[in-house]
Amino acid sequence: MTAEVLKYTLEQVENLELAPGTEHHQLEGWIPDLATDDEVRDALEKAFDYRGDVSITLKSGEKIEAYIFNRHTGVTLPESWVQYFTPKSNDKLKLSYAEIARLEFSGKDRAAGKHWEDWVKAYNERKAAGEKGIALHPEKLE
Amino acid sequence: MAVPISQMWTVATYVLKKRFTGEKRYPLVLMLEPLFRCNLACAGCGKVQYPPHILKKQLTPEECFAAVEECGAPMVSIPGGEPLLHPQIVEIVNGLIARKRYIYLCTNALELKRRLPEFTPSKYLTFSVHLDGQREHHDFSVCREGGYDLAVEGIKEAVKRGFRVTTNATFFDGTDPNQVRGFFDDVMEMGVEGIVLSPGYSYEKAPDQHRFLGRARVRRLFRAILSNRKKTWKFNMSPLFLEFLMGDRKYECTPWGSPAYNIFGWQRPCYLLQDGYADSFKELLETTRWEEYGVASGNPKCANCMVSCGYEPSAVIDGFGSLKGIWAMIRGTFSKYPDQHALNLLNEPAPHGPASLVQIARPDREFEETRA
Repeated sequence: MTAEVLKYTLEQVENLELAPGTEHHQLEGWIPDLATDDEVRDALEKAFDYRGDVSITLKSGEKIEAYIFNRHTGVTLPESWVQYFTPKSNDKLKLSYAEIARLEFSGKDRAAGKHWEDWVKAYNERKAAGEKGIALHPEKLE
Repeated sequence: MAVPISQMWTVATYVLKKRFTGEKRYPLVLMLEPLFRCNLACAGCGKVQYPPHILKKQLTPEECFAAVEECGAPMVSIPGGEPLLHPQIVEIVNGLIARKRYIYLCTNALELKRRLPEFTPSKYLTFSVHLDGQREHHDFSVCREGGYDLAVEGIKEAVKRGFRVTTNATFFDGTDPNQVRGFFDDVMEMGVEGIVLSPGYSYEKAPDQHRFLGRARVRRLFRAILSNRKKTWKFNMSPLFLEFLMGDRKYECTPWGSPAYNIFGWQRPCYLLQDGYADSFKELLETTRWEEYGVASGNPKCANCMVSCGYEPSAVIDGFGSLKGIWAMIRGTFSKYPDQHALNLLNEPAPHGPASLVQIARPDREFEETRA
């Protein structure tokens, strides 16, 4: 948590009736500017939080398809790193922020586009049509 | 009493040893997630939204055993994903039984009846079956018609074969306390050892972002559900944690009490929040900025949390930490918690049944956010 994050007082916490949910941001397809250190840090923080693969182009020109699951933010970019899996490897790999030239949120955001309201609507419509065994199914593992 | 004496003794002596050796932070339950793949797509779950290549990954039995030994917790909960989809789950369970860990294998039980012959009953093994309520409520909650019937078939077969079985329910806004009490009657009739329950956590990645209970509503709901208890109900939980849910006790979160290990490593800071990973349990304990989490920190991600993985360790440590705590647990185990106000709450009109969930409104912010 950073110092800029809005905080609750204890009194507010104890009196919460409903917890505010999270608003999902549309990141799929986004190619952030990485001109400054802050832009690099911000983009990689979002990539860490993103539930889809990203495409990374290194300053060396190498391209990597990755699911970023961890990050460490040091004082400088060379001291900061992301940790990731690639679709073809079982090894956890590390990459310094300073090596990254381009980032694209290229993979499908697996946490986006599914809403409780859609399920309720679909359920009611299918139920009214007399359908049995109504269900949401996990996506197929391509 | 739902928890066997041998398990209570193991936990009690473990807590006392840690206390005498002056250890400040120690785990009680390892949350071992061997995979994220699941055969359900529940609206309130934020655990399974990953690309296919991540969902195909899983921990090996050796990685599971190494994590269990490194962490040293006397109990291991195996959630997921759906653990019964792991091709080596029997090997993992048998290895943990050999290491004398009390295992709670958390399953939606869609596959339980079919897989039961592969397991051997043991005092160390409990099937903790995810059941959110009576048939209609459960099926709606897990977004699958017929899920309840399959789970109940699995429960009955497991009980028949001599396995320890508990049910595990998560509650969201719109829960009708009377229906929950009826559900308790139903599951106890199935012959389960006890009931486990918790309010839902507001997973950022869950499809449903509008039904996470805030703390005030949690206390009101659980007071209505858990007061005026029936003699037949047994809970496989710390009685002090249930008192916390009812608003009778105040606890701070103990996130290191239920550390989570999965394909990414040791999850910071807890089973619910994903703020990064450590390579070892030692690194997790030593390098996580614990002061940034929990209700007292003001962290909005912790604001509504009263979930068992953070607060039950606090209750267990409190309970086994003094004679007063032990007495409170004994009293809580046998008390019916008579409460006229809670009875009145039960007589209020039902909030929302599954059929009326379409009318749920977006939550209003009751308070303005402040900068602490």
